[in-house]
Amino acid sequence: MEALLAIEVLNLHKSFGENLAVQGVSFEVGQGEIFSLLGPNGAGKTTTISMLSCLLRPDQGDARIMGHSIRSDGTGVKSALGVVPQDIALYEDLTARENLSFWGKMYGLRGAALKKRVDEVLDVIGLRERANERVGKYSGGMKRRVNIGVALLHKPKVIYMDEPTVGIDPQSRRNILDSVVALKEQGMTVLYTTHYMEEAQELSNQVGIMDHGKMIACGTHEELVKLVGGQTRIDLTLSVDPLKVLEAWQGIEGVEHASVEDGQICLLVADSNLVLPRLFEAATRQSARITSVDIREPNLEAVFLHLTGRALRD
Amino acid sequence: MKAFDIAFKDMTRSFRSFFAVVFMFVVPLMVTGMFYLMFGNIAQNGGFDLPRTAVVIANLDEGGPEFQVNPKNIPGGREARTMGDLVVSILESEDLADLVEVSFAADAKSARAAVDTQQAQVALIIPPDFSEQFADIEEGQAVIEFYQDPTLTIGPAVMRSILDRFMDGMGGVKIAVNVFLEDADLEDYAQTGILVEQYLDDSLAQSEDAEAELLEVRAPASAPQSQDESKQNLLLTIIGPIMGGMMVFYAFYTGASTAQSILKEEEERTLPRLFTTPTPQATILTGKLLSVFLTVLVQVTVLLIAARLFFGIQWGGLASVVLAAAGIVLSASSFGIFVNSFMKDTKQSGVLFGGVLTVTGMMGMIKIFAMNSPIAKQMGDTISLLVPQGWAIRGLMQSMQGEPVGVVLVTTLAALAWSAAFFAIGVWRFNRRYV
Repeated sequence: MEALLAIEVLNLHKSFGENLAVQGVSFEVGQGEIFSLLGPNGAGKTTTISMLSCLLRPDQGDARIMGHSIRSDGTGVKSALGVVPQDIALYEDLTARENLSFWGKMYGLRGAALKKRVDEVLDVIGLRERANERVGKYSGGMKRRVNIGVALLHKPKVIYMDEPTVGIDPQSRRNILDSVVALKEQGMTVLYTTHYMEEAQELSNQVGIMDHGKMIACGTHEELVKLVGGQTRIDLTLSVDPLKVLEAWQGIEGVEHASVEDGQICLLVADSNLVLPRLFEAATRQSARITSVDIREPNLEAVFLHLTGRALRD
Repeated sequence: MKAFDIAFKDMTRSFRSFFAVVFMFVVPLMVTGMFYLMFGNIAQNGGFDLPRTAVVIANLDEGGPEFQVNPKNIPGGREARTMGDLVVSILESEDLADLVEVSFAADAKSARAAVDTQQAQVALIIPPDFSEQFADIEEGQAVIEFYQDPTLTIGPAVMRSILDRFMDGMGGVKIAVNVFLEDADLEDYAQTGILVEQYLDDSLAQSEDAEAELLEVRAPASAPQSQDESKQNLLLTIIGPIMGGMMVFYAFYTGASTAQSILKEEEERTLPRLFTTPTPQATILTGKLLSVFLTVLVQVTVLLIAARLFFGIQWGGLASVVLAAAGIVLSASSFGIFVNSFMKDTKQSGVLFGGVLTVTGMMGMIKIFAMNSPIAKQMGDTISLLVPQGWAIRGLMQSMQGEPVGVVLVTTLAALAWSAAFFAIGVWRFNRRYV
């Protein structure tokens, strides 16, 4: 069973001065799975990825990537994985082909094998026709595709993708999500970090939720949703200041959690059909008018809210 | 192999940068070209034409023992009854007519006044006992007062060069006569005047082309040149060091700029990405440093060849040039690595290029721009050696002046010592940072 693990993380710790960036993170990812690390900015996702890439040395703990220890076998780890960093890390004054050739050489590819693989990757990322243009002239989405292409050159067993969809247009985002699924279908293991709940929900076999450097929950989507006890999330917009009614609404029967976010009241309820009429009655009593209602079935956002008392976008 | 891949990639990036290429190749050649046009007056005349130096002479020499130099050996074929006449005859000769414009003053005071009022650039005051002192073989000291406009450099320097040459020749004559008298019998003393004339004739006869002989700077092994070539040589004594200075200044600029790519890659996030590949970090750093050396090497090689082709600058013998170029390349590269290792990020490059490189570069080149002012030259010699640029320029100048390879080698070794120290500190600091 152990042989099927692509990533095995054991009690990783990392601090920068007094800032405890990662505290006792552990998780496992089977071969051919997509594992998403979900959490807000500053949760410790990138620090964790950096340690798993051998860019940072953990203060404590260890991890094995395809059986190679990040502490004692950095070269083995680096050979087994491809990294797609959060920022575009390419040479803008070189062409896409020159970039891929250079990075291929850094992964030990040479000669005809390198040329063939560069052509293959250019086909995969759909940039064969524009391969001889300098990357600096590409759109943001095209750069992202080359950024991913670099990590695929040496056909790694494991690929890390650190927030690859940040700051790009919806079409490019869709292309990247599709390519992640395609990588999984090719048998690659993907460790994917994001603070977009929908991406984690759509892509992953397993999700790890991080906050303040800790892994606060880990499991499949279904397992995580069970943590909130099947709660439904209701977001309401009112004609009055939501803080004025918040305290009263927390006492309404069926409301299990209430908070104010971005001028809206966010409620976690067991049964929305029962609670909604009570909310309208309470609003009428308080001379408030409900101007919009958004009902969401249990999801990872609700899980995060349930576990931390904050929305993921905070 | 991966180190060379990294170096080649960095060089490709450098040479694709328009500004880098302009600063590496175009600016040094352009600045030199401007000096070439300025001093060579090429745009107007199609040839070299140094402005004539106005010289006022107060020849007060009352003569000494009777002698007559063979007129055929005096430029212009005139008679010279005193040593003062001889100096005047030489300066008035046709050979020097393009360089010197002679006028006369009745006394020393008038001569100095002519310089003070800028009617002349130089006053030569030949004292009444000039010939007598020259003839006093044992204790005499023949001295010409040289009075110049302190704001001028090139004209007075040309005049000083002519007079130095003349006085050296006369000094040689005195030594020869002295030696003769030490061994001569009493009756031979009567022959002294004839001997003096004979040596004067010989000394003057050695300088058939006074202007060319007096002004030419050439490698000892080089072939004799025509008058036109000699004029060109004078131009090159000005242009050559300037080109050399520009080359060294911009080589150091390139060294610093290329070494900055380490910091730039860190900011572009490509350096951390390189560290995620199975390439040892020491190899990555080696590749980055290699690119600095190779880029400066290409720049210096191209500039040496281009300056030879465009301006006809003679850099010296092959072995000397190779040594001097090695000194430039190594010191420029290592200095760039050293300085960058103290920088936190590329935002500090303004301080680097505007401050450190400019100040040290000017210190290194001070010698070149002070070459016609003896005091400044002496100071410049000392100051320039406080910075690596000074040693790099020194090696190149030695090569241009035809110094023996051994002399250039010593300077190159000194530059290497600087380089080794800079390189060691720079690499140590970068290693501490990344590896």
